[in-house]
Amino acid sequence: MSRVVEIPASFDDRSFEQFAASFAAGPVTDRMIFDARPAQWASPFGLAGMLTAGQAVHEAGGPKPGFTVPAAEEVRRYWARTGFFHHAGDLFEIHGKLPRVKPDERSEVLLEVTPVRASEDVHGVVGRIQEGAARILAGKLGFKGEAIMGFAMALSEACQNIVEHAGTGGWVAVHAYDFRRRLGRWVVVIAVSDAGIGFRRSLEATQARRFGDRWSDATALETAVTHHTSRFRDPGRGQGIAGIRHYLNRWKGKLSIRSGTARIAVVPPWDEDIPMTEHLAPFPGAQVQIVIPAEETGGK
Amino acid sequence: MMHHIQVERVLRETLQTPYRDLVTRPTGRAVRCSIQTAIAGGQATLTCLDFSSVGLVDFSCADEVVAKLLIDPPEGTFVLLQGLTDEQLVAIEYVLDRQALAALVRDIDTGRAWPVGRVGADLQTAFAHLLRVGPSTAAALAEHLGWGAAHTEDVLEGLARLRLIRSDDGCYATPLVA
Repeated sequence: MSRVVEIPASFDDRSFEQFAASFAAGPVTDRMIFDARPAQWASPFGLAGMLTAGQAVHEAGGPKPGFTVPAAEEVRRYWARTGFFHHAGDLFEIHGKLPRVKPDERSEVLLEVTPVRASEDVHGVVGRIQEGAARILAGKLGFKGEAIMGFAMALSEACQNIVEHAGTGGWVAVHAYDFRRRLGRWVVVIAVSDAGIGFRRSLEATQARRFGDRWSDATALETAVTHHTSRFRDPGRGQGIAGIRHYLNRWKGKLSIRSGTARIAVVPPWDEDIPMTEHLAPFPGAQVQIVIPAEETGGK
Repeated sequence: MMHHIQVERVLRETLQTPYRDLVTRPTGRAVRCSIQTAIAGGQATLTCLDFSSVGLVDFSCADEVVAKLLIDPPEGTFVLLQGLTDEQLVAIEYVLDRQALAALVRDIDTGRAWPVGRVGADLQTAFAHLLRVGPSTAAALAEHLGWGAAHTEDVLEGLARLRLIRSDDGCYATPLVA
């Protein structure tokens, strides 16, 4: 009998914990079925997270999990437009009918779910964002040239985190949303997720001794995000997350990173997230989310 | 004598791809190695890295290409950056400042040159005066600026350590002077 992994009806970085707990309820090599029938909506963080879970099962040598598609047709169509099913087909046995969708240039999907395994993939992602998404970033979000370049830099650094530290591949997706209820503006959301070794293992060899018994997923995240420490001794390393923070500070953006059993957030004035959360359900690798609000006068 | 290097061309030839963006550490390392080889093969004392036609420069690549080149510059060579957009300059200044480095930047259109990175106000002032008056001794510059002799010498040695000016037998000059 298969273990059911429940997909939240509204799947974003907050409800991700419900999904992670369900996924972690048994061994990763269990026979599993991901039940997305009740799903009404998923953020890029949710979509990349599901693929990461599938990737973790695959890399652990577990049986290919089943995946029951959302019952609502418009949700299936949206997920198809994000490129999710294209990659999910390699990692899951899909149960249910998938719609055929054409690319929609007016879509709020700025970057479809895209695999990131090597440096060339980062070049591809950065190129596509600058060519394809610049119009939406300028129009819906009111971003000027400088902000678009900064956005592409943050995206590049977040993707490189996979290439440099994860030890395996991962996924990136970028969508724009109307955050009217929470913020009264449009936002653009970057989600980057991998099934790799996570921050604690990446930094363990160089940092764990300093912390002794206190060494954990939370201290590893704090070391990387607050102190910009890298596992490399080179003084120029650690620029990636530092650079992302530098950009987000300028544009009042939000950064959150979940790794293992902890989550850290760099919280802007418009949000009320908790800076550090510990003792979460374990989840493979690292999940990064960057949220950048539209210019106050530019968002439409 | 100045050696002119088009960074976009180096990027294209090194990676054998049509990319215009300087992103990722492996790309940065490859481009820096090509630049170092080109500098080592020339006789010039000043190398101009021209970023015209380069797209995005991310923080990691700014570190690999510019900061690491300045940490370990080819013997006897000064480096000048030009053709930078404001966004590229932000990334480069950021990585230089974090590592207490500095670089000389020139605006292609106006010809104005100035140091960026970890360069304090006195170093900026001394550099600007040297640029205006030409090669000078510490004593002459001290008189010109109304500074103490020891302080002026400290400032000029600081600029020389950052490889923003050259120091030769007590005479200081910007590398832009032939």
